[in-house]
Amino acid sequence: MKSGLKRALSKTAALLIVVFVVLAAGAALFLLRGGPAETTTTSAPAIPKKIAVVYDIGGRGDLSFNDMAYLGAKRAADEFGLELVEVQSKSESDYLPNLRTLARSGEYLLIVAVGFLMTDAVNQTAQEYPDQLFAIIDGYIPDKPNVLSVLFKEHEGSALVGALAAMVAANYGCSAVGVVLGMEIPVLYKFEAGYYWGIRYGEQVYKQHTGQDVSLNVLWTYTGAFNDPAKGKTATQAQLAQGACVVYNVAGATGLGIFEAVEEKAKQEGKDMGPPFAIGVDADQDYIKPGFIVASMMKRVDVGVYTAVKRALDYYQKKIDKFGGILELGLKEGGVAISKLEDLETFLELGIQAGTVKEAEKQQIIDKVKAMREAIPSWIWEEVDKLAETLKTNPDVAVDGLKFSDIAAKIPLDSDEIKQIRQQLGVPTG
Amino acid sequence: MERQKLIESLYRFAEIMVALIAGFAISGVIMWLGGYDPIKAYRAMLGTSILTTDPYNLAMTLSFSAPIMFTAITFAVGVRAGVFNIGAEGQMYVGALGAVLVAAMSLPGPLYLPLAILFGSLLGALWGAIAGVLKAYKGVNEVVSTIMLNWIAFWVVEYTRVDLLPNPRDPSKTIEMPEPGRLPILLKGTELTASIVLAVVVTLLSYYLLWHTVLGYEIRATGMNPRAARYGGINPERAVLWSFIIGGIAAGLAGVCEIAGRPPHYAITTGLSNLFGYGFDGITVSLIGANHPLGIIPAAIFVGGLTAGARGMQIVAGVPLEMVKAVQGVIIIALAVPGLLRLLKTRLTRGGG
Amino acid sequence: MAAGSRGAEHLIEMRGITKIYPDGTVALRGVDFYVRRGEIHGLLGENGAGKTTLMKILSGLLRPTSGEIWVNGRKVSFKSASEALKMGIGMVHQHLALVQVFTVYENIVLGLKAEGDARLRIEKLMEETGLKVPLDVRIENLPFGVRQRAEILKMLYRNVDVLILDEPTTNLTPVETDELFETLRRLKNQGKTVIFITHKLREVLEVTDRVTVLRNGRVVGVVETSKATPQQLAKMMVGREVVFTVSKPPREPGEPILEVRDLWVRNDLGEWAVKGVSFTVKAGEIFGIAGVEGNGQSELIQAITGLRRPEKGRILLEGRDVTGFPPSKLYRMGLGHIPEDRQGLGLVLDMNVAENSILGVQRGRRFMGKFYNLLWSSIRRHASQIIERFAVVAPSLDAPVRSLSGGNQQKLVVGRELSKEPKLIVAAQPTRGLDVAATEYIRKLLVDMRTRGKAVLLVSADLDEVLQLSDRIAVMYEGEFMGIARPEELTREQIGMMMGGYRLAGG
Repeated sequence: MKSGLKRALSKTAALLIVVFVVLAAGAALFLLRGGPAETTTTSAPAIPKKIAVVYDIGGRGDLSFNDMAYLGAKRAADEFGLELVEVQSKSESDYLPNLRTLARSGEYLLIVAVGFLMTDAVNQTAQEYPDQLFAIIDGYIPDKPNVLSVLFKEHEGSALVGALAAMVAANYGCSAVGVVLGMEIPVLYKFEAGYYWGIRYGEQVYKQHTGQDVSLNVLWTYTGAFNDPAKGKTATQAQLAQGACVVYNVAGATGLGIFEAVEEKAKQEGKDMGPPFAIGVDADQDYIKPGFIVASMMKRVDVGVYTAVKRALDYYQKKIDKFGGILELGLKEGGVAISKLEDLETFLELGIQAGTVKEAEKQQIIDKVKAMREAIPSWIWEEVDKLAETLKTNPDVAVDGLKFSDIAAKIPLDSDEIKQIRQQLGVPTG
Repeated sequence: MERQKLIESLYRFAEIMVALIAGFAISGVIMWLGGYDPIKAYRAMLGTSILTTDPYNLAMTLSFSAPIMFTAITFAVGVRAGVFNIGAEGQMYVGALGAVLVAAMSLPGPLYLPLAILFGSLLGALWGAIAGVLKAYKGVNEVVSTIMLNWIAFWVVEYTRVDLLPNPRDPSKTIEMPEPGRLPILLKGTELTASIVLAVVVTLLSYYLLWHTVLGYEIRATGMNPRAARYGGINPERAVLWSFIIGGIAAGLAGVCEIAGRPPHYAITTGLSNLFGYGFDGITVSLIGANHPLGIIPAAIFVGGLTAGARGMQIVAGVPLEMVKAVQGVIIIALAVPGLLRLLKTRLTRGGG
Repeated sequence: MAAGSRGAEHLIEMRGITKIYPDGTVALRGVDFYVRRGEIHGLLGENGAGKTTLMKILSGLLRPTSGEIWVNGRKVSFKSASEALKMGIGMVHQHLALVQVFTVYENIVLGLKAEGDARLRIEKLMEETGLKVPLDVRIENLPFGVRQRAEILKMLYRNVDVLILDEPTTNLTPVETDELFETLRRLKNQGKTVIFITHKLREVLEVTDRVTVLRNGRVVGVVETSKATPQQLAKMMVGREVVFTVSKPPREPGEPILEVRDLWVRNDLGEWAVKGVSFTVKAGEIFGIAGVEGNGQSELIQAITGLRRPEKGRILLEGRDVTGFPPSKLYRMGLGHIPEDRQGLGLVLDMNVAENSILGVQRGRRFMGKFYNLLWSSIRRHASQIIERFAVVAPSLDAPVRSLSGGNQQKLVVGRELSKEPKLIVAAQPTRGLDVAATEYIRKLLVDMRTRGKAVLLVSADLDEVLQLSDRIAVMYEGEFMGIARPEELTREQIGMMMGGYRLAGG
């Protein structure tokens, strides 16, 4: 048996050993020439000159969540003279190594983890590197002095687009509204809850204005992915077939498929404008398919990231003595908002940068969006704005006996709580 | 004879070197065309994974080589039996599911790990055996059946994650493996757990099995010449079935180790995104390693190193992930091509028999 | 010019041909080979003497390491078989290069430009040469002899002047062989030149004009056939006097070991291949089954050795019903099987000598430990013993069997099966394609086994072999036995009749 092992070794392993010897020799050469690992340990008091943004498996190019995080980081880097390093993740197994690799270098003022999915990894790394500052977008880590959890009141913004969706749908005589979501994570429950509440609120308002009773079916689908437009498209087509004429995108890059499906349906019916409409998310996505995206629930991740960087700088400059904690951004703080025509310009830049929009088309797009908005009765827009003001000042406003503040109080929501909310608002519980 | 062996070894070595150089050269051109500095990128990639003395990076490389070492064994044992078992992906999913099922039970602490290993490998074996039975006794093409079973496994496991065993704290993943059921971390502050030890042990065991047991002998004889195997008193159908079962165990263990030995999740995450792809990576690892367990170990470490080096490329050389994936894909394919061609050649020439 | 003048006498001149294969094997060591225009030239030698290599060089399939080739007074250097074909040299291989699913006609014109009168030309060729072939039948539906004629026709259609035939009679019946020889003579009369590769003395003497004898990559002599004797040629070929008869001490047969009763077996196509065969093989006897190949012998053997399930009838081993038992069980009960297809069935060519030495007994107590582990030291000892006892020439125990010559592969199979100390040995075509020395050796082994009290079932297409070795003979024709008799009771003519389907009178 021993000789058997030896023979097999001689046959296969010999050459592989040679490979490794060669590789090792290469390694030696590499390292002698200075080596790639730039592990210069910076002396303590100087303020690090770099910031890092780590994306989850959704990644850049979604024209929403992740790209907005980039925008915020870019703005902060430019303003404060910092170097920006971006790291994307191929799989969930990459989060921890990505964060650790950045943290252990000690070169970064702040490491921003973009996305709820990185919560565990940030938690772990923050514990191991207590001197490194972290920010996590959408993640809830309340008890670490070196972690800033940036949260958004998506339920507030979602309530606005929910009301809009309901009124638009009723206005065009549709029987349903829908929402297509990404992975089932608790952050999305906030979108769901606010949206459903807003829909019922919108029905109420519509009745006040027109005297018509409307009762919309509410459709929702979790696609399980933030980066799969094909899935988004199929899910949307199914909802459109069931009578939905407004579909809310809560699915990152998957949402690009929602837009496509909506546009296709409208064009099949010979229209160059909705209905059906989609509702954009995170960024102002109204320009992506102008005329088919009625509005966007802007979640200003850029504001969140920018604020976190600024706070880290302040902390280093001893302007504040506590970095960690929760930073919650809502309507009041400008963290969430429904898109306005005026927002379009800023976000068109994003599209131009990504190459999805041509500079020359800019004005045309703005005109088209404007026309679409004007096609919808202005009282609807006014009611949406009114709701925004109401929620800022009086969150106790109720529909179907459910106060908006009740929803807010339950956050973070778990799967049982969202089921309960769905039931209360007459949405299929799934 | 010795001379002939030496010539063959040198030939193989030259083949690997040529493939390696070609892979790096083609990728280099791609990067250069994309406006990135290939030298800097390669230095960053290898210098943060394999060609380094930094224990953290070496540990990361090893941690990424563990799952693909397991799944490479799945493919290699199949090849030895003359089948093209590309079902490691699905077998790994159900293996992970087995571990999560155990994690969901309330058990005395020390029982979690052994039960997870047992359950996961059993489910993996079972999943492999389905394709094995279909192949051996019904003549169903194993490529087709394993691909289909991969997707069935995907949705079954995804369903379980969403509806049966979601984590109440965080429904994006399943219930976590409790603390006592986790594989120990070998080097503090790294992701390297005892997974790698298990992977190497299983790889060595598979070597022992193939070359030092009767079953391995019968599997190999069947793979090389099923008619002669039958003449030799071997039941080729049973040998093929065994190869699927053994492969399923290895892949199932890959799944178990990702649950019990991959910080920080210790669970199946949404869309199976912490498992997805390891089964297919195993195929290329096996091909690079000449479908031989002793070749698979260095091959897995190399491919694991590429995965680990993806960070360095992004952070140090500023190459975006999409480009990193393209570069590594080209290198891996270049390395796997000679083995793949050889495999196809023997399969085609043997096609008549 | 010297070469030119000789060109008049010799159509083909190969001078100082040496061939060293990439793995270092020296196949030819400075061979001079001359063929006259319009003769039938025999190329005689044992297996591995270099005959086929030499002819592959002449027909452009291989390139010599050194040496020159002159055809018709011109020096040539072929890079491919098609170049040789253009010079009028064509080779018919042992494994015919025909497309199975094409008809004869399609095969003949394959790769040539369509010509309107192709069919007429082929028919005319058939008329002239006597090579009668049904043009519109698919190759797969034709017997081997007819396929071979189609291949020759294909060469002639391509205007070949020099026809090389590599062991053309291996798969032919005696009648077909006679027909082939007739054709060759006719071709000669039409001015064609034929090179005839063989190791069968009788054929060389019957059909050739001159013979070149090769041994171990060298020419040992060129003789006029009319002046040669079989003994002389045999001596040149093997380098010593050959004893053509195996001494067989008399022995009384003992208990019946194998009994076959009214056995019916189907072939792969579902047709009856064995139709109600019954016989008994006793301890200490060789029971020979003669017959033209393809008359059900293979299926009969497969049924007896557990490789094919019989439809009806019973097989008894030492009185125990073993019908439908798998091979592994039969081996444990004392069966040794030397299969007719040693490369496809008897050996795993890519496994090494040691691994092949236990095929079939891998689960034996000698080779398998408690934990189903292989006892390699014991296996290697076993393999070394086989190599030593049965004179297998192998570079090492770790050499893949593929690298062994055909004779040594067969010796390894025979050695392995005999070393099982079986009670019953089933030997199918045990000496096919082997050289004289190996043939003689293996025949002697079989006789030894019989003398030591084993039962031997011998199936062979080589009539001489069956006649010499067997204590009793059956002749098989279309799935049935035409008769069973002792060899000395039969004349060659009687056997020939039985092979052709006539029952033995009173048998």
